[in-house]
Formats: sequence, structure tokens, C-alpha cells
Amino acid sequence: MRELDCTLQIRRNRLTRAIIAACAICGLASALPPYRDTLPNGLAVVSYVDHRLPMTDIAFVCRSGSASDPEGKWGLANGTVTLMTRGTKTMTADSIASIVEFLGARFNGYAGNDNSMISLRVLAKDLATGLDLLTDAVRNPGFEVKEVERARAEGMAAVREMSDYPLARVMVDFYQTIFPGHPYAHQAIGDTVSLRTITREDLIAFRKNHYVPNNCFIVAVGDFDRPELLKMIQARFGDMTRGTVPEVKAPDMPFPGKLRVKLIDRPDMNQTYIMFGHPGIAHSDSDRLATNLAAHILGGGALASRIGDAVREEAGLAYEVRTVFDQDRLRGAFWAWVQTAKPKEAIAIMFREIERMQKDGAKKNELDDAQNYFAGSYPIRFSSNQGKLHEAINIELYQLGLDWVDKYPGKIRALTLDEVNRAARERLHPGHYVMVVMGNVKKEDLGLSDVEWIE
Amino acid sequence: MLSAMKGAYMLRTSIFSLALLSLVAAGPADDFESRVTEFKLANGLPVLVYTDSSAPVVTVAVAYKVGSNYEPAGKTGLSHMLEHMTFQHSDMYKPGEFFRTIQANGGMNNGFTSGYYTAYFEVFSREKWELGMKIEASRMGRCVFLESDFASEHQVVAEEQRLSENSPSRVFWTQLTAAALLAHPARNPTVGWADDVAHFTADAVRDWYRYYYSPSNALLVVAGDIRPDEVRAKAKQYFGKYKAQPVSLPDFYNTEPRQVGERRMVVHKVVTQPSMAIAYHAPGILDSAFFASVVAGGVLGQGRGSRLYQRLVVDSGLATSASAYAESERDPGLFWVSVTPKAESLIPRIERIVYAEIGRLGQEPITDRELQRVKNQVIADYIYSRDAIMWMAIILGSYQLTQGSWREFKLYPEKIGRVTAAEVQSFCRGFLTADNRTVGTLLPIAQEEK
Repeated sequence: MRELDCTLQIRRNRLTRAIIAACAICGLASALPPYRDTLPNGLAVVSYVDHRLPMTDIAFVCRSGSASDPEGKWGLANGTVTLMTRGTKTMTADSIASIVEFLGARFNGYAGNDNSMISLRVLAKDLATGLDLLTDAVRNPGFEVKEVERARAEGMAAVREMSDYPLARVMVDFYQTIFPGHPYAHQAIGDTVSLRTITREDLIAFRKNHYVPNNCFIVAVGDFDRPELLKMIQARFGDMTRGTVPEVKAPDMPFPGKLRVKLIDRPDMNQTYIMFGHPGIAHSDSDRLATNLAAHILGGGALASRIGDAVREEAGLAYEVRTVFDQDRLRGAFWAWVQTAKPKEAIAIMFREIERMQKDGAKKNELDDAQNYFAGSYPIRFSSNQGKLHEAINIELYQLGLDWVDKYPGKIRALTLDEVNRAARERLHPGHYVMVVMGNVKKEDLGLSDVEWIE
Repeated sequence: MLSAMKGAYMLRTSIFSLALLSLVAAGPADDFESRVTEFKLANGLPVLVYTDSSAPVVTVAVAYKVGSNYEPAGKTGLSHMLEHMTFQHSDMYKPGEFFRTIQANGGMNNGFTSGYYTAYFEVFSREKWELGMKIEASRMGRCVFLESDFASEHQVVAEEQRLSENSPSRVFWTQLTAAALLAHPARNPTVGWADDVAHFTADAVRDWYRYYYSPSNALLVVAGDIRPDEVRAKAKQYFGKYKAQPVSLPDFYNTEPRQVGERRMVVHKVVTQPSMAIAYHAPGILDSAFFASVVAGGVLGQGRGSRLYQRLVVDSGLATSASAYAESERDPGLFWVSVTPKAESLIPRIERIVYAEIGRLGQEPITDRELQRVKNQVIADYIYSRDAIMWMAIILGSYQLTQGSWREFKLYPEKIGRVTAAEVQSFCRGFLTADNRTVGTLLPIAQEEK
């Protein structure tokens, strides 16, 4: 009954969202309100004090992620933030690792579509040391040649491992097919061609252009004194100077005129992996919450949704089946996926259910349940430092405002059936799909008609 | 405290100054034990309550002492199949209603099967917590196993198993485990072998349920914003009606025969990135040598500062990752070394370096700093693992069932803290030997065909 946790590491932002959709991002007055302070140079600090355990989580977030990778340099944002934690002008990567590991701390850098992040988890007694490491990583990264080459080799292996894993391979191909030439078309970790082209100068330039205080923020959760923490942050980051950050440009993504399908032949597999969808919404979309509710009712999971009921519970066709609207800064995808030994039957049911939702919408009792779930499960999101950290990052990244945690349940409960059904009607486009299919299956086995096959 | 700054914001530090850092987690006195209440119902159901009111959330978890280790030949995966079926139909919920009921009440839930136990949990806001008790009580004694429900769920489980079969790394680890263990049932995958799964029947699942799912063979753990007296009252109300039933649990502690020579195996799949792993038979948690094995794993292969990472990734550049760890299993299990080689051709050189490093670990005592590093990490992990209140029910339940007491959760860092360099040496000499290892590689099919 375990969810497919392994799939959730594939594309961090998209899959985090799939989880969040399952857990519900919401607010209620139960959690301690976070505080937001801004240094004179524009660096925002969101803090959530919790003395329950002697530990602190800190994230230094840059609002530029893999969508900011220059053409062909896929993986640059991720490589930059990874290498920022691996050596500074005065400390080697080994020295940093030595300190981090001796303290039992965690110190990592990684990028998603819309942001890059250095995360630090440290015992409260070691907070100042941890902050020093974080500061040095942000302000004085070394990008030593040996480390660059090591990270390149590591990245190449990670890309290869991912492409060996069918779920990831299908997902990577899906985004490349649906978003050609778009900043979200490539993986944050890059590919084996692009990783070869990234130079030390590229890394230095990306850090210089994007890690400016007006494009970054800090989130801290845990056992600390807020005024004291702010002083420490001011002392370390207060003299960072503002800069102009290159804009992310995205081409418009047209809906396919008809079903376009890419078939990957894998005679060795005993299951067919299918992912299909069409352009969806952006995080800033005014219908985002209504669309979320509709998507949850339609296919929020394999275990309590229309598609889950029809594909898994009634027909026993799959272990995992799901529909999701990506929610990134730019317009993302609406996607559905399934892994099954009976692709024709599963596809037919999924097409049918999406069309039914688009045409007829949800029922009142379905909406009531979905609203109860989204609003009612809020406290769970705030029952750990990690949960608070992730929620605070989302709020700051997408500039939802601190009162979001109070407003959210009300916003969810205020949505009417008409609004949710209008969102379903306008945001779902049955038939206008891009589809990637991988398995031991022939075109004629899929039961599809009027298809443009992508060779 | 190390926070010396050089120039504007450059960190100035040294290994030496770190040695002066306090070695034990500071902070408020550890109140962990005072948060736990333990009692037992008249029907033998043991109950643990972990109180943490920092968020208005309560987790209700029930675990049963049955898992893949208890399955006879031909029935592997039956506990996992049963786990699936308990979400299907009971006196409280019909197919399709289980998850809907939970979500409509703002809850989350899941279940999982392991070698020695099967566990379920629901997480609700405080005002809804009783629903978790109702659901779990219904699961304990009121599940229904109709052929019609079984047929579709049987297919779902078959699809779940195919997912494993199409994941190269999953196939590799499953088959390497089976090659390393000759007799202990941990050699079987939790989801079962394909042909066994194909032959399950609703009757077999029902029999498995009736035998193992009784209060005296279960454990109820409630964690979060809840008082013990509230749990006691509701536990009696919902679970008190079930009668105790004796269950015979076989013991596999000494099942695995002593390995008397190196084993080697290859898995060929459609992959572009080769992998390799080495499994050594190692002590289980109940053996005092286990704690030395954890330290050996940390020194050898946990983090960039570990010996294998330094030799294979940093110094020689033969690999892109290297790790080592000891499984935390009740019975003697496996100690794993795994490496991602840059190329298949480098595997023989990598192996030589791994064996040389393991040999050195047996010959020379590890340094004080290495030992302390692992101990500090274990202490920190103990604190970090308490972060998510919802997981405390699972953590405490796991310690209670596999180690005999939830108190072991707190004792674990203390026991690691007592490990000496000599004990680590002794573990390496005794267990990390050529005759005691199984070496596996995951290689591309294409290489085989050439």
C-alpha cells in the first residue's frame, strides 16, 4: 500500500507537489504564525520558532532554479548550488564535510524548476557553526576544478541511473515532448550532453547573477531566539549587494491539435508505463485552488478518486494511477500516469473519466469531501519542522503572504461547486494530449485512434 | 563555539578546534521517557501512548506480529496481500470507502508490511482522532474477504510486483539479498515471488488474517496531542471486545547457516549505469556486536568523510558514490557496501580497494575522531527522528516489536556511545571476511550480448 516514494525524487518540484496535493497545502490557526523580516538589502527572513527539540532547520533559497539554465546548459542551476556546498575560498569540500559530519548535521544543495536551495539541519548548539558554513557557501564558493569534475561525474551517473528507471524515463520524455524549447522541458539535473558543456565560468557566473539578496530568502524553523538569529543573519548577509536577475523567458505552449504519442519499445518489460497530459496552469493562476480540488476529485491518488476507483479499485488494472496539475511559476502541465499490464483498458478509463469531469464536473458530496480533506488535514502539515519549512518556503517563493496560513482553509471552503466545475471545464482539454508510452507494446495494442505518432 | 570569522565572511576553522566542541547533544533535558505511557488491555493488547501537544494532531497505529518472515514456501507475499485486503471491506467500510472516509475527515493514512510485522496508521486532527481507533478496531476483527473483492485487489498486487520487476535496482537488491541468505526467510521479498503471488486465494488470506490479527498479537500506539487516560478509555471501548488468541511465532534467529566461501552473482538488465554491492552476514540488533557494526558502517561508508568515499570517489575517482551500513534487523542480517562505479571495467579495481580498506579496519583501530563522528551522528539522528510527531507512533512501535521495548529507541545512542575502537576492529575481523561475503553486480544486458 506504500506510495511510490521512489518516483517522488524524480523531479523535485513536480513530485513534491503531487505529495502536497495529497497532503493538502492549507492553513488553520493551529500552527504558530511564522515571522517575516527583511534586511535593508532586500533579503527576507522567514522564521518559525519551535523549542520542542534542540534542533534547527535553515534553508537559503534562491528564486532561480533549473528554469534559469541557459540554453543547452541544462543542470547549471543544480550544479551551481551543489558545488556551493563543496568548497569555498578558504575551505575544501573535505573540510566542510568533515565539520558537517562531525556535528551530525545535514548540509545539501539542490535545485528545482523555480528555485535553488541550500538546506542545513543542525543541532541547536551548533547553529552558529552551521550558519557560518551556510554563509561561506553562499558568499565565497570556491568551484574548485577537481570538485567541478567530481560533481560532473556524479551528475552523469545520476542521469544514467534515472534513465534506467522506467518511471523516471517516461517522465523525462513526457516533459521534453510536451514542452519543447521551454524552460521546464529539461530535468534539473541536466542530461549527459549538457553536463559535459558546463564550465567553471558558467557556475561562477550563475552564482554571481542569481544569488543576490533581492532574489533570495532564508527560512529558519526550530530552536532559536528570533532577534538573535536575525542579528546573526544581518552580520553575515547584510552587506550582500542587490543585483538585476536575468528574466526567465518561456514560449507559449500550444495545445496539441490531436493526440500525439511517443512509443518507446521495451520488449524486456512486463508492464506498460504511460504518461499523458497537456498544458496546465501556473501557480499564480486565479483558478489554482478550484483546479486543485477538481484534480483531486478526478485523480488525486490511486485510492480515493474517480480514476483511482475505476482503474485500481474496480478493474484492478494498476497499483498507481494519478492526475496532477503542476504548479510552478510558469504554466506547467496537467498530467496523468499509470503503469499497467493492460494499457488499452487503463487508457480508455482514464480518457473517459477526464472527459466526464470536464463535461459534467464534480458532485456536491465529492466537493465536500475534497474540501474537508484539504482544509482538515492542515495541522498535519505543521506537525514537524520539516513540514513548516516546506510550507514557509512555498509561501515565500510564490509570495502568498504570511496570512496565507489563516486564509487558506477559508478560501478552500468558500469555493462553490460552480467554480470548481468551471475550472474543470476550462482547464481540462480531453483529447489534446501528448502521451509517452514505454513497454512491450505495439501501436495497435493501445486502442488509440486519430493519433499523430512521434517517431 | 566555532564561529570565528576571517575577513568579511570567511570561515576559519580547523579539525583541532572541532575536537573541542561538546560531544553530546546539548539542549533541554531529554523528556522522551516521561512522554510515554504503557499499559495492556485485559485481552492482551499492549498499548503505548506518546504525548506531544505541540501540534493538534494524533496518530493511531496498530501493528501485528506477522510479516514476510513467517510465510511458508509457496506463500511468500501473503502478509502483504493481507495488508492490501484489510483496506477493502469490513463491518465499517465497503470497497472504496476506506480512504474516502479518512480523507473526508481531513486525515491521512497508510500501511506497510515488513519481515516481522505489518503496521497501519491514521493521522487526524485532534478532534477526529477517535475515528482512527474505530477504523483500526474494525480492521482488527471485522474484515470481510469476499471473492469479488479479492479478485481485483489480487491484480493490483500483481501490478505492484511488476513495478518491482521493472525497476533494475529493485531486482538487483532483491536477488542479491536472496543470494546472500540461504535459509533465513528475509531472503524473500516482502511483496512475494511472482508465482506465489499468482496463486493466492481469498481463503488463504482469510486464514492468515484469522490466525494473526488478534489483540494479543498486536500493538496499539497512539502519538500526539492526546492524554493516556483518553486512549485507555477508547482502547477499552473499541478493542476490548476482542478475545485473546494464542499465536505461535516461529524463531528464525539461528536459521542462517554459516557462510563458508565467497558467493558472486550478476544481474543483467537494460541499464546504462552499472552498480555493485557486497553483502556480509552480520549480527542482529540483539547481539552486542551489532553496535560495533553500525560504527564500522559509519566509518567505512557514511558521508564524504568516510573511508570508502575518500578512497573511491575523492582519491582514485573510480566511483561516483560509495556507502556502507549495517541493517537494523532483529535476527542476524546483512552488512552492505554499495558503490556506483564510473564504468564496469573499473569494478575489479574498486573491489580491491574495498577489501583493502576493510582489511585496514580490522588491522588498525579507528581514530578517536572517526569514532566520535559516528557517535555524534547517531545522537543527532535520535533528535531529528523525533521531529515528525506523526512518525513517533511508528518508531516506538518498531522498537517495541523488533527489540522488545520502546525504551531501546533512547538507549540506542547510548549503546552506540559505548562502542570502542577495539570492538569495531573485532567486528571487522570476525564478520567482514572474504568467506562471509556475497558480491553482486548490476550490468547492462548489452554487455552480455557482445
